[in-house]
Amino acid sequence: MDLKLDHYSEDDTEIVVVEGEIDVYTAPRLRELLIDLVNKGNFHLVVNMEKVEFLDSTGLGVLVGGLKRVRAHDGTLDLVCTQERILKIFRITGLTKVFGIYESVQDAIDKRKSK
Amino acid sequence: MAVTDSSAARPEYAGPAPGEAAVTAEASAVAESVEILLIEDDPQDAFLVEELLADTNLDATITWVDTLRAARDRLPGFRGCVLLDLNLPDAGGMELLREVLTTAESAAVVVLTGLNDEHEGAAAVAAGAQDYLVKGQVDGALLARSLRYSIERQRSDENARQLREAEMYARENMRLERGLLPQVLLDRSPLTHRSFYRPGRKRALVGGDFFDAVEKNGTTHVIIGDVSGHGPDEAALGVNLRIAWRALVVGGVREEELLPALEEILTTERAQDEMYATLCQVSLDTGSETLRIRLFGHPPPLVLSDGIEEVAATPRPPLGVFPDSDLSVDEWPFPRGATLLLYTDGLVDAYDGAPPDRLEVGGLRRILQDIRDRGASTVDLPERLVDEAERRNGGPLQDDVAMLLLTHGTGP
Repeated sequence: MDLKLDHYSEDDTEIVVVEGEIDVYTAPRLRELLIDLVNKGNFHLVVNMEKVEFLDSTGLGVLVGGLKRVRAHDGTLDLVCTQERILKIFRITGLTKVFGIYESVQDAIDKRKSK
Repeated sequence: MAVTDSSAARPEYAGPAPGEAAVTAEASAVAESVEILLIEDDPQDAFLVEELLADTNLDATITWVDTLRAARDRLPGFRGCVLLDLNLPDAGGMELLREVLTTAESAAVVVLTGLNDEHEGAAAVAAGAQDYLVKGQVDGALLARSLRYSIERQRSDENARQLREAEMYARENMRLERGLLPQVLLDRSPLTHRSFYRPGRKRALVGGDFFDAVEKNGTTHVIIGDVSGHGPDEAALGVNLRIAWRALVVGGVREEELLPALEEILTTERAQDEMYATLCQVSLDTGSETLRIRLFGHPPPLVLSDGIEEVAATPRPPLGVFPDSDLSVDEWPFPRGATLLLYTDGLVDAYDGAPPDRLEVGGLRRILQDIRDRGASTVDLPERLVDEAERRNGGPLQDDVAMLLLTHGTGP
């Protein structure tokens, strides 16, 4: 299974759209994209995971790494996810306490701005 | 034939020698193409090499440079044949040869020497060149043959080298696995154990799964963990963590301080900032029937008694993500006769039938139930479990699987 990546700007936020499986083979590409976006000065990221079918520990590591990078610039990395299968992975790994997880991109942006 | 400076020699190469025609016909059947990097400062010699090769059946592409400096751009990763004059304006002799051999690791190197320095050619071959040719004594057929043989020799040398490297790598993996999966220290514990490890489909990528169990001062501590990602860094960190944890336990560090100390070790020892470890630590006092469980981003253990229960411990983020001070501990009943199953996520990440469905903890529980219903003994559970997971996955699992089964006996 492949991984498709896309990104666009909206409301001072860079939205990263991920589709497919984030595993040991595909995660490096997501890592590169996140690093690239942060290096270009995007410190508020929203990763839209609605079309993600699976992520393993390497994929989680990449998201955690991205979060650490934006936090170093007082930034944010929030997730959009409503799929039970993916939410379960975040719950088991205790990462629901680390990431903001929202139902829509707009929701994620609004919540950040109201903080 | 001569890669020579003598114009008198040239007519000899104007056409193929009688013996050469046959060689040509034979070789054209194989239609080889060879990339040649000619490092030669004398334009006449360089011209001669081109002329000689033009007359052979060798389909040669020649790139000519006249200094080592110019060659340096082309040597890394070059896989053809280097024809090297050992007397260049900016380098020479064995030092020059060594640089070429180390920079162009995969190339065949044939050295060109003058008539008076033939000894240099022999020394060059001893130092790692595939062959040497004496200028003025070479014809097209000899040159072509030398190039072909040199490339063949280089290829077989490289195959042998790769084989050697693969063997060393496999031994390295074995050493790492030994470090990750130790002999547990349970002589005085009420727990008896059965451990299991099966490497994933990508054998070359040794994972960072580890476990250990140590009885100390009347309490048995057990740990299973998994460093995120695959590769030597991850496996090495797994070994570090496992040994550090054992040292902390054996050294008598208090139970509630074990994992904060381990997290500190992780954050100082990891190669990249984003590396983390999921783990589960279980502690049992001898004589007690209650487990103390600390879960850090790890899938929950299962308790097998009459039924199969998933231990409902509070999931906390993995170790090394964002160290916090949440030191709460969960308790769970563990009666004598019951068995605790600790495992790594390679098992629950297996496909359940077809993508995108994964086994998950629920699937694991169902498989276990099924295997037990068919009368499997506890000792056989790990193999049976992984076999069934592989069947559903449609082949070997992608990730490594480590499992630790601990049965609460009457014990010493």
